[in-house]
Amino acid sequence: MRSETMTSKERLECAVNLEKPDRVPISPLMNTSAAAKLVGKKYWEIADKGYYAHIETEIELFEKFGGWDGVALPLSPDIYRLGGLKVTTPTEQSPEIQILEEEFAKPEDYEIIAEKGMNDFIVNHLIERVYGKEFLGQLGHIYQDASRSSKKGKDEYTKRGAYFTFPTLLTHPFFKLSLTRSMVKFTEDLYYRPEMVENAIQTMTDELIAMGKMLYKKDNFLTMGLVEERAGGFFYPMRIFERFWWPFTKQIAEAFWADGIKIWFHLDTNWDKNIKYFKELPRGSAIIDLDGTTNIFAAKEQLRDHLCISSDIHPALMSLGKPEEMEAYCKRLIDEIGDDGGLILCTGCCLPVATKAENFRAMLNTGKTYQLSKPA
Amino acid sequence: MLEQLSSGFVELRREEVLETIKMRIEKGEAPLSILDDARQGMILVGDQFQEGILFLAEMMLASEIFKESVAILKPYMDQSRPSKSKGKIILATLKGDIHDLGKNILSTLLEGQGFQVFDLGVDVEPTVVLEKAKEIEPDFIGFSALITTVFKYMRDAADLLEKEGLRDKIKLMVGGGVTNNTLKEHLNADFQTTDAMAGVAYCLKMMEERQHA
Repeated sequence: MRSETMTSKERLECAVNLEKPDRVPISPLMNTSAAAKLVGKKYWEIADKGYYAHIETEIELFEKFGGWDGVALPLSPDIYRLGGLKVTTPTEQSPEIQILEEEFAKPEDYEIIAEKGMNDFIVNHLIERVYGKEFLGQLGHIYQDASRSSKKGKDEYTKRGAYFTFPTLLTHPFFKLSLTRSMVKFTEDLYYRPEMVENAIQTMTDELIAMGKMLYKKDNFLTMGLVEERAGGFFYPMRIFERFWWPFTKQIAEAFWADGIKIWFHLDTNWDKNIKYFKELPRGSAIIDLDGTTNIFAAKEQLRDHLCISSDIHPALMSLGKPEEMEAYCKRLIDEIGDDGGLILCTGCCLPVATKAENFRAMLNTGKTYQLSKPA
Repeated sequence: MLEQLSSGFVELRREEVLETIKMRIEKGEAPLSILDDARQGMILVGDQFQEGILFLAEMMLASEIFKESVAILKPYMDQSRPSKSKGKIILATLKGDIHDLGKNILSTLLEGQGFQVFDLGVDVEPTVVLEKAKEIEPDFIGFSALITTVFKYMRDAADLLEKEGLRDKIKLMVGGGVTNNTLKEHLNADFQTTDAMAGVAYCLKMMEERQHA
């Protein structure tokens, strides 16, 4: 078998720039609850023990499984809370963080958001509604803990040769509003009070660009992560997508690209009907991360030699499949999506809690060895 | 009158639909007849969804209008004879999972089609499903999932149904973002989908086949 000739950073950059790396870069999107299970820890005992306990658990998994290329910082209950989202407390019966979606934001809040921004709304209105006034006193401590832990975590991963893909997954304004209003109410707003939504999204877009650039410049990451789970054609018709999502997304992507920053779009649910729009973005300016429900092979044909794709291992395959099935699927991805470069091997959404260790290992091993075992 | 109500659902004209229903009730029309018209609207919504004209979000909004319509009609319906159910279905999101969006949409769509839906909610113990199944003898049981930890409880529920000798009498359905054919095989389920309308179509088809058997 041939030896690796690139560092993780070089490999990831190569794939993002649509060139052929020595082997496919591997960047599973982590989930501390899944990581804890795979290293024999109980996540419900870690969840509220501070941010570094999350990073430490994920590093433990990284070491136990021989490492991979791309890493990102975890999402902890506190990180969700900072964003004004109500989440479940992980327990033995239900060890995963789940967002409890309620109508915490009201229609009249769109005006506040449009005028002052989402961050102001979260700190001055939303958090109090979700967690009560006393929680506001904890914000400073949580920020400090997250900031200190992130720096330490980054140093620890760097020592181990991994490369930080993005500072955090920012939430697309459309998705953020959907989560804070709740999906049904937000959908009613899109149809029955569209101007209010549009104005709020524009302010949030400007805010996200400013915040994202600040985060990026601080640590010089490879990309900026942006999560959207609902705007695709699985839920909404193109006229909604074209009015409330795509123009703002283009603004975000182009603003970052002007500074040479690429957006890593985390797109859950089925985006078959929307993939073509991403061709409007400059070549090499983004990565499209799919979760196993979008037809990734059709997406590749549309985005070939234009944007990198990160893929896409279905949670059911990771949880219930066999290692040989995992190996076969990863090989297919490498052969068909990564044949011309432009592929990052990734989980479909984040690593599921029910992941079988042998399947995760098969994914990593296939990514690390398949291409290098072939003649040059 | 029927066309006005149906098109109101398809075009998501919420206020107009609700006003029409109130007006027809005030005029003394039989609530079941109005409900049937509302159901026709939802059937049309379902058809347009399957044709790719309407999207899931629009089906969701139409479902909300339908629920509000039923709420208006319900006090009057209690006084009239119940309509015949097309079939009985238990829906649940099992233990550990609190996601219910897809399940709720399916529930409303099935009600719109005339099914009797027993929605057990979220975070449901498999034994609760079994007890309900014994009690009502459903034609279908549907489990929804958005996280993988619930697979274990789906399996437990399927095993309980098998053990109690109920499995052969019930079509087991699974749906949601993390489900696929691998899970269907793992559970020996009868049907899997991520598309609520496909779930409705399956239930209708099965009931039709049962009637002709």
